[in-house]
Amino acid sequence: MLPARPSLPIILLALGNLPLSAERPVDFNRDIRPILSDRCYKCHGPDAKNQKSDFRLDTREHAITDLGGYFGIVPGDLEKSDLHLLIRSDDKSEVMPPPKSKMSLSEKEKDLLDRWIKEGARYDKHWSLKELPSEIPVPAATDWASTPVDPFILRAATDFGLKPSPQASRESWLRRVTFDLTGLPPTIAEIKAFLAEKAPDAFEKVVDRLLSSHAYAERMTSEWLDVARYSDSFGYQRDNERHVWPYRDWVLRAFRDNLSYDQFATWQIAGDLLPNATRDQILATTFNRLHPQKVEGGSVPEEFRIEYVSDRLHTFGTAFLGLTMECTRCHDHKYDPITAKEYYQLSSYFANIDEAGLYSFFTRSVPPPTLNLTTPQQDKQLTEADKGIAGAEKKLAAVIDGSDAAFKSWLQDPGVFLSFGLLSHTSFDGREGGKLPDRVRPDKTANTSANNESVKGVHGQGLRLTGDDPVSLKDIGNFNRTQPFTIGLWMNTPMLLERAVIVRRSKAWSDAASRGYELLLEDGKLSAALIHFYPGNALRIRSKEILPIGEWHHLTMSYDGSSRAAGLQLYLDGELLDTEVIRDKLTREITGGGDPFIALGQRMRDNGFKGGLVDELQIFDRELTPLEAAQLHDGKTLSELLIAVKEDDIVLPGKSTQQLRAYFLSSHQPHIDALTALRKARDTKRAIQDKLTEIMVMQEMEEPRPAYLLERGVYDARGEQVTAGTPAALPSFPKDQPNNRLGLAHWLIDPKHPLTGRVTVNRYWQIFFGKGLVSTPEDFGSQGQPPSHPELLDWLARDFIDHGWDLHHLIKQITLSSTYRQSSPTDPKIREIDPENIYLARGTTNRLSAEMIRDHALATSGLLVNKFGGPPVKPYEVAVSYKPAKPDKGEGLYRRSLYTWWKRTSPAPMMMTLNASKRDVCRVHREVTNSPLQAFVLLNAPQFVEAARVMADELIAKHPAAPDALIEEAFRALTSRKPDPTESSILRALYDEQLALFEKEPAKAAALLKTGDAPARKDLPAHQQAATAVLINAIMNFDEAVTKR
Amino acid sequence: MNYCTGFDSPLGLDRRNFLRSFGMGLGGIALADLIQAAEQKGHSFTGAGDPVPKAKRVIYLFQSGAPSQIDLFDHKPQLIKDHGKQLPDSIRKGQRLTGMSGNQASLPLVGSPFEFKQHGESGAWVSDLLPHTAKIADDLCFVKSMYTEAINHGPGVTFMQSGSQFPGRPSIGAWLDYGLGSLNKDLPSFVVMTTKGKGGQPLVSRFWGSGFLPGKHDGVRLRPDKDAVLYLNSPKGVDSSDRRKVLDHLRRLHEHQLEQTSDPALETRIAQYEMAFNMQRSIPDVTDLSDEPESTFELYGEDARKPGTFAANCLLARRLAERDTRFIQLYHPGWDQHSGLPKGIRTQCKETDQASAALVTDLKNRGLLDDTLVIWGGEFGRTNYCQGKLTANNFGRDHHPRCFTMWMAGGGVKSGTSHGQTDDYSYNVVDGGVHVHDFHATLLHLLGIDHERLTFKYQGRHFRLTDVHGKIVKPILA
Repeated sequence: MLPARPSLPIILLALGNLPLSAERPVDFNRDIRPILSDRCYKCHGPDAKNQKSDFRLDTREHAITDLGGYFGIVPGDLEKSDLHLLIRSDDKSEVMPPPKSKMSLSEKEKDLLDRWIKEGARYDKHWSLKELPSEIPVPAATDWASTPVDPFILRAATDFGLKPSPQASRESWLRRVTFDLTGLPPTIAEIKAFLAEKAPDAFEKVVDRLLSSHAYAERMTSEWLDVARYSDSFGYQRDNERHVWPYRDWVLRAFRDNLSYDQFATWQIAGDLLPNATRDQILATTFNRLHPQKVEGGSVPEEFRIEYVSDRLHTFGTAFLGLTMECTRCHDHKYDPITAKEYYQLSSYFANIDEAGLYSFFTRSVPPPTLNLTTPQQDKQLTEADKGIAGAEKKLAAVIDGSDAAFKSWLQDPGVFLSFGLLSHTSFDGREGGKLPDRVRPDKTANTSANNESVKGVHGQGLRLTGDDPVSLKDIGNFNRTQPFTIGLWMNTPMLLERAVIVRRSKAWSDAASRGYELLLEDGKLSAALIHFYPGNALRIRSKEILPIGEWHHLTMSYDGSSRAAGLQLYLDGELLDTEVIRDKLTREITGGGDPFIALGQRMRDNGFKGGLVDELQIFDRELTPLEAAQLHDGKTLSELLIAVKEDDIVLPGKSTQQLRAYFLSSHQPHIDALTALRKARDTKRAIQDKLTEIMVMQEMEEPRPAYLLERGVYDARGEQVTAGTPAALPSFPKDQPNNRLGLAHWLIDPKHPLTGRVTVNRYWQIFFGKGLVSTPEDFGSQGQPPSHPELLDWLARDFIDHGWDLHHLIKQITLSSTYRQSSPTDPKIREIDPENIYLARGTTNRLSAEMIRDHALATSGLLVNKFGGPPVKPYEVAVSYKPAKPDKGEGLYRRSLYTWWKRTSPAPMMMTLNASKRDVCRVHREVTNSPLQAFVLLNAPQFVEAARVMADELIAKHPAAPDALIEEAFRALTSRKPDPTESSILRALYDEQLALFEKEPAKAAALLKTGDAPARKDLPAHQQAATAVLINAIMNFDEAVTKR
Repeated sequence: MNYCTGFDSPLGLDRRNFLRSFGMGLGGIALADLIQAAEQKGHSFTGAGDPVPKAKRVIYLFQSGAPSQIDLFDHKPQLIKDHGKQLPDSIRKGQRLTGMSGNQASLPLVGSPFEFKQHGESGAWVSDLLPHTAKIADDLCFVKSMYTEAINHGPGVTFMQSGSQFPGRPSIGAWLDYGLGSLNKDLPSFVVMTTKGKGGQPLVSRFWGSGFLPGKHDGVRLRPDKDAVLYLNSPKGVDSSDRRKVLDHLRRLHEHQLEQTSDPALETRIAQYEMAFNMQRSIPDVTDLSDEPESTFELYGEDARKPGTFAANCLLARRLAERDTRFIQLYHPGWDQHSGLPKGIRTQCKETDQASAALVTDLKNRGLLDDTLVIWGGEFGRTNYCQGKLTANNFGRDHHPRCFTMWMAGGGVKSGTSHGQTDDYSYNVVDGGVHVHDFHATLLHLLGIDHERLTFKYQGRHFRLTDVHGKIVKPILA
C-alpha cells in the first residue's frame, strides 16, 4: 500500500489517545470540514466546473437544497439525507466516495458525519477567514506563566492531561535563544556572564542584547530569503548570474532597524507606489522580481511573462496570506472559496510593469524596470551633466534665434543641394555575385546571398528579399544614442505583414531584447525604435496608417541624438508621417548587443521581409531636415527650390521658409558648433548613465495592462477580461485606496485582516518551536492543518498588530515565555501521548538549519569573518557544486552562509545536503531530514575539517599540556555546556587513541593539517594538532552540536 | 509536515500501533528502514487495486537535446521522396512552431540520408547509425508515438522528468524513492550520472530534484572523480580504520545521550553515521571497475574504461542495478542538432549505441533484465523540415513536440514490438499516441504502483507524477 495520504492529520492521531474528545459536540471546522474538503469537495465543492452532480457540499444552502424530491442533507434527519445513505451504501455503483476515486471514509469519519447531520448540519466559516477578533481573553495566569503565551499553552496541555516540563538549564535556554535569534552559538564568555547574572531581568537583557545585534538581522534575513526565493542567478536552464544582493542588504537593514512588519510588507509589495518613494522603498520591490527568469532561445516571451506574474501572486499568497493560489490558476479552487476569475483579478495587480518575458541572451542588460543604484558622487555628476545639457540646449536655441541675418543673406545665394553627411549609398546596381557596390565608399560593398534576387527597382536594379537572407553593410551604422543619424530607402511590401524586419542594427529580437535600432513593419505599419532592452528601456514610434502594399514607397527614418521619442521621425515619400509614441524611455546604451552594422530584411529568429523589395539605401550620420527627406524621395524638391529661390527671388510660403531655414542651419557653422557641444554634453551624461549599477524593481505602468482569465492557465487561451480585485471570501478592498499594488498592500495590513497577522505570527512561532501553531504555514485553507492553539494564534496576532507590528515585541512574548524555557528531555510516556510535541509540554528539539551548522563551525573556530552585507561570496563548497565555480580566497571563505553565492541550477551543495531551500519558489518551511550524505559533509568537507583544525591550534596553545581542560573547553564551545564524566572519558579515549596514531604516522598528521587555506601553526606538535582536530571534528558531529535541545 | 509520521503506513500500521510495537517510537530513517526491510520480505504493495510489480528497478538512459526520430527509428520514404519541398499545410495544420524556426520564410522537408533496414524477427526499422541497437531489436519495445507539450529543452526535460514543464515538482526517481523506498540501504536509491565533457544544452540539478518532497529524495549524483558522492572521502590523513575508531566513540556519545534524553531522534542519528560509514565502502565498491573482466570492455566498448563517458556510466548502471539501486538515471547531452545534423548525430550514436545495447544484453545475460526496466529516449522529437539552410550535405532539424521515438526493454514490457505510428511525414501521431503522462503512468504501473495513488499532499493538494492525467499503455505490457 502506498503512502497515499501521508499528511493524515497528526492531531487526530493525538486526539485518539485523549479522554475528552469523544464527548465534545461536533465542531464543523474541527471535525467535519477536513473530511468534506479532503474527500468530497473535489467533485462536490466550490469549483463550479467540476460538478459531477447538482449536489454541492461547500455551503449549507447548497447541501440542504431540494434536488427534485431528494436531499443531500436534511438537518436532523439521517434517513432522509442521501449523504448518510450513500456513504453507508454497500452498492459499489452508488457508494460515496466512489471506489474509482481511490478515496474512502473510515467508520469514525462516517460516524462524525452522521452525528453532524443529526445535530443539525451546522456550517461555519473557515476559521482562518474569520475576521481577527479585536480582543481575545487570556486564560487566568498561574505561577508558571511568564508571558501571556503561557496560560494558553498550559490550558491546552492540561486539557490533554499533560503538565509542563521543568525549566531548562540556563545554558540550554541561552543556546536555544542565541541560535534562534542570531543563528550563532553563545560564546563561552556569554555563557559565563549569563550564569553569573543575578538580576531578575537577566533573560530579558539577553534577548535585548541579541535583538540589537547585527547577527539578529542576518538570522531573520536568512529566513526571509527562502520566502523571497532569493537567488543570485536567474534560474531555469541557462541560469545566468544577476545582481540582486542590494535587495538582500535592504532586508538586512530592515531587520537591523526593526522596520515594523506592516511596512516591511508594504515596501516589498508596493514601495514604488508610496508617495515620494525613497530609494529603499523602491529597492524593496525587487522582492517581486526574484522569481526565476528565462532566456532559452525560441521560448515564447508571453508564456514566461505570465509565469512571472503568477509567481509573484503565488509568493504573495504564500508569504502573506497563507493561501495556495496555484490551484486557482487553472480552475476554481476545489477546496477554498477562491475562483479562477479571482485568481486573475488578484494576479493582475502584479502584471503592470513594462517587462519582457525573456531576459537577454546576447547582452548582460538588467531586465527593466530597474532602479539605478547611484553613488552620491554619481548623483552629483548626473546633476552636473543635466545642467550641461540644459546649457547646451539653451545655446543652441540662441544660435537659431540669432541666425535671422545669416539666413536672409544665405537666401540670396543658397548654392546647390549637397547631401553632406552621407556615409553610404547602396543603389543595388552593378551587383557582382554577392557584392553590391557602395556609391560613396568605392572600396566597400554590401553583401547578400544569391537567394536575394536582383529585380527591377525604382532606379535601375533593386533587390527581392527572401526573408531568411540579410543584406549586410558590415562596417557601418554602429551609432550610439547621442549620435544623430538618418536612413533612407525605397521599399515595396508584397502583402500585409504582421511583422517584418526591414532595417536593423541589432543581432536578435528577444534573444538580445532587441538591443540596437530597427525599422520594422508591425501589422503593416512602419515602426522605428532605438532600444536598450525592449520594451522597458527603449524609444519607439509607429505610423498610424498602414503602409500601402504592392507599390514602391520611399521611407526615411531620422534621429536627433536626444534619447527621446520626439527625436525620432519617419517620412513616407518625403512627407512626415503621422506617428504615435509607443515607448519613450531610453536611459542606457543601444550599442554592444552584437552585429554592430546595418542589415536589411532578416534578423535571427525574427520575421524577415519575405518577398519584400528594396532599393537605394542611404545612410547619413546626421539628422536630415524635412526638405532633405523630400529630396531623398524625389531627387528634386530641395534642389529645385534652391534654384528657384536664387533665380526667381520668389516669395516663399511660411512653411517652406521654416523648412529652408532648417536646411540652412544644418550647414550654418555656429549651429553645427552648438549641435556638437550639445552632443558632447549628452555624451557626458551617457557615459555616466551607462556605468550605473541597476537592479530589477517594480515600476507601475501608466495604464494597467489588460488582464484576462486564462483558460486552464494557458498563456494564450484568453477568456473574459478581468479587472484588479481581491477575492470575495476575503475582506473587501478599502474604498479610500487606489486599486493598485499600494491599495492591495493597505488591504493586506488592515488590522482586522483575517490572515496577515495570523500567518505572520505563525511563521515566527515556527522559528522558535520548529513548527507553527498551524503546522502548514503555507496553507491556512481548508486543506491545511487547523491551529493547535487557535486562541493563542489569534491573541498573538492581535497583540502583534496592536503593538505596531513590532517583531521585537512578538519575539519577546515568545522567547521570555515559560513555554519556551522548558527542558526537552522527557519521560517516554509523555512522548507517547504527544509524540509530535503539539501541546508543548516540553521544550522542542530541532536540528539546526544548514546555515547555522556551517556558521557554528566558523564561529567556534574563530574563522568567521563578521561583515554585514555586501556581494555574495564563494566558499569552498562551490568548487564541488553541480556546475563548479572557483572559490574565493581569504575572507570569502569564512563569511556567514547567508552570503554564500546562490546559483539556482547549482546551489551550494553542502547547504542543499543540509536541507536548505532550493529557492526556486517561495517556501515558508524547510523539510529537515537526516541522511548519511549529511555525515559526509560534517566529517569530510574542508570547511569543517579546517575549522576543527584551526580551533585545535587555538585550544592547544591555551591548554598545552592539559587535554582534559582542552576537551572541556572544546565541548563547551560546541554544545554550550560542560561534558559530564561519561562524555569526558569517551572523548579522552578518542583523543588518546588519535594522538598515539598520529604520533606513529606523522605523514598522516601533516596531510590532515593541510586541509583548507588557513595555515596551521608551526610552533605546535603536529600529532597533537591532528589528534585535537579529529577530536573537535567528532564533537562537531555530535548530536548536540547540530541540534537545539 | 512530517510525512514519515502522519501517513497510512505501507504496512497497515498506524503510528500509534507502531509506537506501541517498538516501545517508544522511531525517527525518520529507522522507520523507513523497517519498512524497507519488510518490503524485502515481500510485503509491499498488496493493497487492493495495486498492480503486480514487474520491475524492481529502472535504468533511464536519457538522451538530452532530443534525438531525431526521423534519422534513427521512424523510417519515412515519403520524406525522401518529397525532399526539398515545402512542409505541406495539410500536415502542419496551422500548429505552432518554435521561436527558432517558426519565423523562417522557407521550411523545406528533409528526408533522412541514413540507410534504414528492418531488424530481427520483429522487423523493427533502425537506421545504420545504430548497428548495435539494431542487433538487439528483438529485446526492445519501440514507442514511436511519444508526444509532449514542451517545445524547449528546459521545459521539455523538466516535463519528462517530473510531469510538469515548470520547476518545482519531484522527479520520477524522487517519487519512486518516496513511494517504494530503498532496496539497499548502503547505497543511495536514486543515482544520477551525466556524461562528462559534453557541450550542448545544459543539464541542471533540478532535473533530478525532489521538488516539494523532502530533500532526502533528491537524486544523488555519482561524479567521475575521486569523491563519487559529495565529500565521500575522509580527509587526507584519515583512513578507514581511523575513521571507524572515531565513529565508535561518537556512537558511544550518542548512546549516552539517548539514555539521557530518551529522544528517538538519536537512534536516527546513530543509524545515519553507520550508514555513512557503510557507504564509504559500498560506493567505491560500485565505482571500482578493477574486478570487471576483459569481456566487459569488449561488450561495452573501450570507452567504458574512461570515467565519465556514457559507456562507463552504462557499466556503472549495471553495477548499481546488481546492487539493487532503485532508479538509475543517465544523461547524455548533445542531441540538439539544429544545424550540422549529419555529422552531429553520427558522433552521438557512436558514443551511445554500443553501450546502450551492451547494457541490455549484459542485464539479460545476468538474469537482471526481467525485473529491470531500461528506457532510452529524449525530451521531444525533431522536425521533418530543415532549420536554416538545406544544402547537399548538410541540414538541421528544430525541436518537434508532436512525435518522437523512445525504446524500453525488460521490466515487464513486451519485447520485439513497435507501438504507435506517425503520419508519412513523421509530423503528427496517427495511432497509439503516448503522452508524457501516459509514459509515466505506465512506468509506475510496471513498478507496481497505481499512478493515481502515489500522491503527496503539498499546499493543500494531493500531487501526482501524472498530475490529473495519464493512461497506462496496455499494448506494450508483456
